[in-house]
Amino acid sequence: MVSIKTYESDYENQWCPGCGNFGILSAIKDALVKLDLTPDKVLIISGIGQAAKTPHFLKCNTFHGLHGRALPVATGAKMANHRLNILVNSGDGDCYGEGGNHFMHAIRRNLDITLLAHNNKVYGLTKGQASPTADLGMVTKQQQAGVTSESFNPLAVAISLGAGFVARGFAGNTEHLSNLIQAGFRHKGFSLIDILQPCVSFNSVNTYDWYKKRVYDLNAKAKHRTEDFTAAITAARVWGDKIPIGIFYRKEIPTFTDQIPALKKRPLIAKVYSQKRLQALLSEQ
Amino acid sequence: MKIDISIKIGGEAGQGIQTVGQLLALVCQAGMYVMAVNDFESRIRGGRSFFQVRISDRPVQAPDHRIHLLVAMDDKTVQTHAAEMVPGGIILMEKGAGPNKKAVSVPFIELAKQAGARITSNTVAVGACLALLGAPFSIMKRILSEQFSQKSRDILEKNIKAAELGFGAVKGTSFKWAFSWKKTRPRGILMEGSKAVALGAMAGDCRVGAFYPMSPATSIMAHLASFAGQCPVVVEQAEDEIAAVNMVIGAAFAGARAMTATSGGGFSLMVEGLGLAAITETPIVIVNAQRPGPATGLPTRTAQADLHFVIRASQDEFPRFVFAPGTPEEAYDMTARAFNLSEKYQVPAIVLVDQYFNDSLFTIEKPLAAPRNIERSIVGDKDMKDPGAYQRFAITPSGVSPRALPCKGKALVVVSSDEHREDGHISETISDRVRMVDKRQAKWPAMLSEMRPPQGYHGDSDILLIGWGSTKGAIQEAVDGLREKGLDAGSLHFTDLWPFPDSAVKTALQKKKKIIMVEQNTTAQLGQLIRQQTGLDFSGAILKYDGRPFYPKEIIEGVQKKM
Repeated sequence: MVSIKTYESDYENQWCPGCGNFGILSAIKDALVKLDLTPDKVLIISGIGQAAKTPHFLKCNTFHGLHGRALPVATGAKMANHRLNILVNSGDGDCYGEGGNHFMHAIRRNLDITLLAHNNKVYGLTKGQASPTADLGMVTKQQQAGVTSESFNPLAVAISLGAGFVARGFAGNTEHLSNLIQAGFRHKGFSLIDILQPCVSFNSVNTYDWYKKRVYDLNAKAKHRTEDFTAAITAARVWGDKIPIGIFYRKEIPTFTDQIPALKKRPLIAKVYSQKRLQALLSEQ
Repeated sequence: MKIDISIKIGGEAGQGIQTVGQLLALVCQAGMYVMAVNDFESRIRGGRSFFQVRISDRPVQAPDHRIHLLVAMDDKTVQTHAAEMVPGGIILMEKGAGPNKKAVSVPFIELAKQAGARITSNTVAVGACLALLGAPFSIMKRILSEQFSQKSRDILEKNIKAAELGFGAVKGTSFKWAFSWKKTRPRGILMEGSKAVALGAMAGDCRVGAFYPMSPATSIMAHLASFAGQCPVVVEQAEDEIAAVNMVIGAAFAGARAMTATSGGGFSLMVEGLGLAAITETPIVIVNAQRPGPATGLPTRTAQADLHFVIRASQDEFPRFVFAPGTPEEAYDMTARAFNLSEKYQVPAIVLVDQYFNDSLFTIEKPLAAPRNIERSIVGDKDMKDPGAYQRFAITPSGVSPRALPCKGKALVVVSSDEHREDGHISETISDRVRMVDKRQAKWPAMLSEMRPPQGYHGDSDILLIGWGSTKGAIQEAVDGLREKGLDAGSLHFTDLWPFPDSAVKTALQKKKKIIMVEQNTTAQLGQLIRQQTGLDFSGAILKYDGRPFYPKEIIEGVQKKM
């Protein structure tokens, strides 16, 4: 039986006390248990940053790579073995800044993975610079006169690029977040779950209280139709006194590896080298 | 050599220069050794472009500077290349006459129209060339039939007609270098260097390729993709080189042998990933098809100036393999070896080729053989006493830890780009840092033992020309030329460059009167490396960095000047 304990890592946690990442970690464990996945069936890939350290605090297969580069690693891993269950843990700087290009193209490919973007609007590991999702005017030690660029809207971008599963969670609501992760995992194709994550050290604006006053469940009253593209974009643009969380958009579309004929029968790594086959190719030249 | 003829076909990009050259090469290959170089500008249409075919009764592995037959698809070709012609050479051109040269007018376009399709003017030119060379029309007809086997009967017939008209158009013109075509059996196969690399990847059981298009590496990945129907390989065009190398790392981590191919600029972007492969000890193969210039440089030209770069690329220090094949046969063998050794030692392997090598056609005499089996260096639960206690970076005397794959058993695989403990988790302790560095560095001696020493050609001579990679053919031909002139010259050619085979080099170089580096860079990079690794210095260097391949003549003259 899989239990929360199954996923407990004995590696010492390195996050600040009170960090929003703890809620996300709990939600991941809860989701993996509810999905009845054993650690040997899960591969977590991450980039660099506090969010990207998540796999160390879990017991599972882990690839902790470079800043911004988790998605290409996941793409390659899927090419080699498309049956892998891959969860990508990334931060807003990692995923939308350094890895922005990869974010865009992983969505275009419809890579069958679940991406958890821990979004705290600041760079924590480098001590508090504004991230691409920081709100216009946000003052940091680096951006002393306030951020002068518009905040990057990951949900609107993902929806407009045709992502098949786009959701937003809140680190302060782990039960809701766990449900989103489970739904994302079950979705065949690219799933983005952007997670509002308070940073207790460097973001004094977007705190737990700030979010708790504003977030509401988009799916609670069933008014939001998740198959409605326009409604999804509209909801993704809502930010301020009210902040929606939940599933914004959902649609099943062919995945990256579904479309590769060579992967129809079995994963690449399960195929056997054949001298005869290669000799035939060589003789043809 | 009794027969040694060079034909140059020049024109604008888009005029089908390559088609003429390739057809000509294929026909001449019936009984002759053929080698051909492709010279073009970085543009889609227009610009100067040529294809140069060398035909000989002996193996030839370099282009010659003398042109016997010039096929000018436009007037500018005559102006640009007339000076390269030998006395008695012939220019085939649409109309008019070249100054002081024997020009024969062949109305390519008019004859093509007569054959039924203007587009066959290339075939008219091929027919005229072959008639001058004394080729029987039957061979031309056979090759055309093979080449157009996928096309309609009508297209084939029009081409045969065009060839016939070209053949007839030069009737009565005598060509000094015409030879008797007795053998009709093709001699080996014609192959571009890029295809040899791609086939070598298949022989190394490469399953995943990821790349971002960059000249002159793209053709390698195009060949690889074309094998997908027959062998288990999947090629993805990434959004950039950074993505490409990380995809390759992801694929290799998950258990598929994987490669990418790029040129220097793309390699620059991949360097971060190279370091990731090194610290996570993930085997990957990167082919760097060199071209000249920092930044964009000369995109469609050739160079050998990335040797120091690839050896040192990335921050910090770690072991890696660097190979540079000198012939397509070596490229086939060496690319497969790069995969095997990269996996065996869990280090990145880099294969250095260049534009000249990738885009030229060489005759491969011996058939390429597929390896019987692929030796994998991977462990599973059954190889472990306690899979639950598996540690990806377990310390071993060889520095190589048993490598398990993620989600293939109970053993959990944890890797990190951060410095780490044996179990793969991040560590900043002094002891873990030192242990991990020592573990990675411990791989050097065994890796060195895998390296093949440089190959000597008249290696005991007083004067030793030293080169690496694709210049092998030109250097060896220059050695032949120098020896004919009575000089005691030989060469030493490097294919296995890193780890550097120090002691073999020391032995080979001692007591030589003159050591002359022959390289396509400005600083004799291999010469510097030899000095660094062995303490032995070179006495001179013949360096070419204009973006064009070496002609043997240039090397011969360079050596003579230093005598």
